[in-house]
Amino acid sequence: MTELMQASDEGAALEALHAAGMTDGLPVVIPTPDRVASMVLASGMDADMRLGVMGPAGGVATVEKVAVAAVMAGCLAEHVPVVIAAVQAVLQDEFDLAQMQSTTHCTAPLIIVNGPGRLSCGPIACGFGALGPGHRANASIGRALRLSMINIGGARPGESDMALLGHPGKFSYCLAEDEEHSPFAPMHEGLGFAAEDTVVTVIGAEAPHSVMYSGDADDPQDAQKLLEVLVIGLANMATNNAVLTGGGAVVVLNPEHAKILADAGLDRPAILQRLWELTHYPTERLSYFSAGFAERIKGDTYRCFKRPEDILLLMAGGSGLYSMVMPSWCAGAHQNRYVSQRVELDLYCEIPGLSQS
Amino acid sequence: MRDGINTAKRGLPSVALVTEDFWPQGNFTAESLGMPSVPRVKLPHPLAGTGQSHLEEVAKRLAPQIIEQLKHD
Repeated sequence: MTELMQASDEGAALEALHAAGMTDGLPVVIPTPDRVASMVLASGMDADMRLGVMGPAGGVATVEKVAVAAVMAGCLAEHVPVVIAAVQAVLQDEFDLAQMQSTTHCTAPLIIVNGPGRLSCGPIACGFGALGPGHRANASIGRALRLSMINIGGARPGESDMALLGHPGKFSYCLAEDEEHSPFAPMHEGLGFAAEDTVVTVIGAEAPHSVMYSGDADDPQDAQKLLEVLVIGLANMATNNAVLTGGGAVVVLNPEHAKILADAGLDRPAILQRLWELTHYPTERLSYFSAGFAERIKGDTYRCFKRPEDILLLMAGGSGLYSMVMPSWCAGAHQNRYVSQRVELDLYCEIPGLSQS
Repeated sequence: MRDGINTAKRGLPSVALVTEDFWPQGNFTAESLGMPSVPRVKLPHPLAGTGQSHLEEVAKRLAPQIIEQLKHD
């Protein structure tokens, strides 16, 4: 049973939540019992159902506690299946959440949504400014996971969350793939799911790094140059991916860049293969910058990624010169693995007055 | 769009060339700068990087529209 806080009105309740360190620093919707009960009802799950234990504090993530976070984050009822799935994803052992929450690195959980739930649970934006302000579902879903990590997982800056600076994606970091306009099969199909599944894939990731490339259809090396510049952002010698190696990372192609690669006859596996090959580096380069980290390497070259499929590739954003890459932390027992989780849309229960439709 | 508006404000014939993906932003800019009816022609998107022959084809196809817009006050 969740312990209830008392306050004279919602203004006082907000101040009490701020004072208790239970917010992300921004105003929240006050999680009154009625609001939380409605959100639990929308989830179609029992309030006391345990989703797992969330580190580093070891709090038990029940559906009710996640619903509290969803209410505080401003979620609509239809967002809750994605929130639940995102929480389930980060609770998998291979996500290494407790270590990730505690590291000095700036990593934050990036939620990527695929499948029909992008529309029915949102819409979750995948176009212009999808990672920026103005998209309620993206903002609220990502924020609900963060508030869960604060209030169930116990992450407090400088106390248990030791990120030296963090990054703005630690407020919210959620987008969908633009499956309708992508020349490639959806990302979740490449991860072994059916096209009709709704899937969240979560990876601890740095802030998005812009990769500028102005294509030239008259240049026979157009696609190759794009791949090379993507790799510069993805695994340059300032990233953990190039130094610690072995983790995952994300490439978000804009529509123009996706077209350049598709027009060159490259599909998703071929692009991942090329990105993987381009991140095989001379060991002496690592020795120059980080001799201590290079000592473990045997041979003249080393690989930033163990396998091509360790790189997540999706298409999102507006059309223009800029794609995005997100390097990652690469540490923890499972080296910062991404985790995919199917969203249980069948359990969702529409609640009058608590949904957009 | 700003270039087109600034040129028009100088009393010179002007037409703004806007790609289709940026058409709503062009409308917004024209409204916010007080010239909602500034002449404009829609170009395909993307245009940059699509190759010399494509650029020439677009230019040839849209030149009459641009000239037509420039004829108006």
